[in-house]
Amino acid sequence: MAPRMNGVGIMPEDTRICVVMVGLPARGKSYIAQKAQRYLKWLSIPAKTFNVGNYRRNDAPHPSADFFDTNNPEGERKRRAAAEAAVSDMLKWFKEEGGVVGILDATNSTKERRKWVLDKVGREGIEVLFVESKCDDEELIMANIRDVKTSSPDYVGQDPEKAAQDFRERIRHYEKVYKSINEDGDEDDLTYLKIMNVGRKVFINRIQDYLQSRIVYFLMNLHIRPRSVWLSRHGESVLNLEGRIGGDSELSHRGEEYARKLPELVRESVGDDRPLTVWTSTLKRTIATARYLPKHYNQLQWKALDELDAGVCDGMTYQEIADRYPEDFQARDEDKYNYRYRGGESYRDVVIRLEPIIMELERSEDILIISHQAVIRCIYAYFMQKSQEESPWVPVPLHTLIKLTPRAYGTEVQTYKANIKAVSTWRGKGSTAKHEDPAPDGGI
Amino acid sequence: MDTLLTAEIAANSPRYRRRSSTFIDGIHDVSDDQGQMAPAQLYSTMSGRLFHSGRIAIIMVGLPARGKTLGVKTRVFHLGDYRRATVPGGKVPEDYFYPNASPASQMLRQKILKKCREDIYAWLNHENGQVAIYDAVNPTAAGRRALAKEFANHDVQTLFIESYVDDPEILKENARNVKISSPDFHGMDPDEAAKQYLKRIETKIPVFETMNEEELNYVKMINAGQSFFYNNVSFNYLSHRIVFYLTNLHIKSRRTFFARAGTTTDEDSYKADAPLSEEGRHYARKMAETLLRHREQERLASIANGGPDVPLRPLTVWTSTRLRTVQTAEPLKEMGFKVRQRSQMSQINPGVCEKLSERAIRALYPEEVEKHERDPYHHRYPRAESYHDLAVRLEPIILELEREQNDLLIIAHESVLRVLYAYLMHCSTMDIPKLKFPRDEIIEIIPAAYQNEAKRIHIPGLDPKTIPSSPEDIRIPVPSPSGQATPVPAMPNLPESAAANVEEEQAAPVQHPPEKIVNTAVKDMVSDKVTDED
Repeated sequence: MAPRMNGVGIMPEDTRICVVMVGLPARGKSYIAQKAQRYLKWLSIPAKTFNVGNYRRNDAPHPSADFFDTNNPEGERKRRAAAEAAVSDMLKWFKEEGGVVGILDATNSTKERRKWVLDKVGREGIEVLFVESKCDDEELIMANIRDVKTSSPDYVGQDPEKAAQDFRERIRHYEKVYKSINEDGDEDDLTYLKIMNVGRKVFINRIQDYLQSRIVYFLMNLHIRPRSVWLSRHGESVLNLEGRIGGDSELSHRGEEYARKLPELVRESVGDDRPLTVWTSTLKRTIATARYLPKHYNQLQWKALDELDAGVCDGMTYQEIADRYPEDFQARDEDKYNYRYRGGESYRDVVIRLEPIIMELERSEDILIISHQAVIRCIYAYFMQKSQEESPWVPVPLHTLIKLTPRAYGTEVQTYKANIKAVSTWRGKGSTAKHEDPAPDGGI
Repeated sequence: MDTLLTAEIAANSPRYRRRSSTFIDGIHDVSDDQGQMAPAQLYSTMSGRLFHSGRIAIIMVGLPARGKTLGVKTRVFHLGDYRRATVPGGKVPEDYFYPNASPASQMLRQKILKKCREDIYAWLNHENGQVAIYDAVNPTAAGRRALAKEFANHDVQTLFIESYVDDPEILKENARNVKISSPDFHGMDPDEAAKQYLKRIETKIPVFETMNEEELNYVKMINAGQSFFYNNVSFNYLSHRIVFYLTNLHIKSRRTFFARAGTTTDEDSYKADAPLSEEGRHYARKMAETLLRHREQERLASIANGGPDVPLRPLTVWTSTRLRTVQTAEPLKEMGFKVRQRSQMSQINPGVCEKLSERAIRALYPEEVEKHERDPYHHRYPRAESYHDLAVRLEPIILELEREQNDLLIIAHESVLRVLYAYLMHCSTMDIPKLKFPRDEIIEIIPAAYQNEAKRIHIPGLDPKTIPSSPEDIRIPVPSPSGQATPVPAMPNLPESAAANVEEEQAAPVQHPPEKIVNTAVKDMVSDKVTDED
């Protein structure tokens, strides 16, 4: 009996892809690169971004715009050297660290540069997928420029107005040599995705395999309209009171109280005017928790949002599990992410079944998810880039509404306490306590 | 009626197309009967529709012979059918297809168009339909704009899908191979048919305008899936899905094999995740032997028929993460085949029904049994999964299966095989819970032009006790088939016949020749709708 056989073979292990970003500065390339990396890593696909700008900064920390003038041989040489360093580090990462998706984050705005990357990377048997972000919507570009001048290390400590001006100057240098992919019709052999004006138009060429199509599909689902995702566990359940895991029990009195309070909590956080869609699991306790929410909210039940299946341990207390399956109990604490309950699931399994949910979330606007501890941990880990070691231990208290708002570089978290008492269902490593209190800091 | 949008893929990559002489480029659709839905649906909603998509008309754009290929199972309205139904014998006036037709011919066209669209509105508005596929050429920008407006007036969103081909190779092959099988050319001399057909295209080429309408939602598939252009699609959900499926079209002539997992030491328990029993390990070896022998025989047969002497395509094995499937793959793994585990392929979760007899389930959950009998595909026992849930869970597997380039052996539980088989073979959802996969057979799915074909490969020398349909499945009272055969004709009705068969075998182990299965119902239906070029 080997309870820990998880994960093996889940990754598309034969494919290695180099995603090459293409586009002028301030077109959201880094945003796309960062999102793709987060998504892939969450799915346990080793992914890493290699930002050429970071390499260049070693050599030229605060260059002015003329550094980027193609007539400036010094600048050209340094930029070329940075690109070479980034690509060679990436190849090393593929070879030595088992990388699967490497993302080359740079402008790659000329045909020559793209050909160079293709040759260099392709020679190693790595597939190349170009992802171009093309944008001529002035407003979007300005928003990006504002963002860059305040956050880019190139302009640290500089006057924001001057920085913006310099940055626009830099963009103009790039525009002089910029060629959109296959603009001349002689790059038709490349595998590429071209996103124009954040998804208003998309062009896809010669997608070769499943992993590529997954990445492309994910990137097509991204949007930048402002929105938030709200997460809540179900109200305290009868089994929570008894310290039992899993099951399909009703709400406790206090859980019922939370369900009645939830509409107010949601109104406080969402406001009255935003239409909200509510997703629950198919289990009684989440459906009951959602039932007092306004009637005009759409509600949808997802089987994929059901709690982690504890298999033979379903309905037991941790003490009972430790007594009946001591080895399992220990094995789970050693590697909680990968431990699969006998006849049940691991956190890794839950992440895999949540993948379509994440895809839907990226595509959707305001969503409230009422689900379960393990499931919310996994969704939270996606947005907050929590590691696999960390995510299964994140405390997610009952009777708390969590608001996640994606920003350009990361996700903002706000919590709203209902102030209705509930048992703690958080459990520290090794503990068999029925209700461990208090949960440590660092939770949601 | 519950929701649909199922994606399902017709068999046709450009390379495949060139070899095939009967390639279908129409839409693969299933029968329209209520309750007949495809597996791998996304999910259901309270209202019964995908609420974030609303009612949608997918409008096909493109000249005939240009590979309009999309496999969304939903109701398809082929204008060609209306034409054939309206005009007795299908004989339309000479100039019917010409842009400058006579007034009489134009009136006739209008009449046929109107009838077709009225049916679409009726279906969307009164029969709870969600996705109507309007299959006609829709060649002009002005016509398409008018169409989008008209549908919008009926509160229906439009998504245009154009198949654009400028690769002369693909064009030529399409015309030659496909269109002459259209009912319009039935019984005609092939050369004459091709000539007439090409003439028909020529008359239309001058008026055809490829899509370039900024304000419309459209997806343009270029050269049979080599590229896609995707414009302004405001109801992203569906169109994203469609593009994802389209980009995953990748069927070469690779084979998919299905095999059951071996028997375990604790057959009754879902949760136990028991290892294989002695018989189970025996089965695993026999199954591996049979499969490898079969592959080699097929290769030799192909060479004998003048095929090239090339090595077999590599074989990859997928199992679930359950012990019994993993262990069933072990003999193959030891021989060096690559085995990959897929957590989504666990068997259907029986929930509260685990270990209960049918009688007990009836006594404990009479209301649930009643609901289940009404809708065995969608109904979910407490904490259990329905087949619908299972199909949704398997969706990523189906997509990856479409992308796989190696031959593939899937070792899984019967419930999982049912859904995957039904997907590949176009079975009706209502039949899914009843499909049978006795353990002494490996199923081989062979991609074919209209409709995949299946072969059953007998595994000789198994203990009869281990053969019948699995006790691992939910023991739920499925209503008995109402005299209607499952779409798999002549699946031997084990276990009744098993005992007799096996006795015979043990006396003299017979090597049954593989038996070929074609879902003929689908084939007829599809071939009837192959080409509509109005």
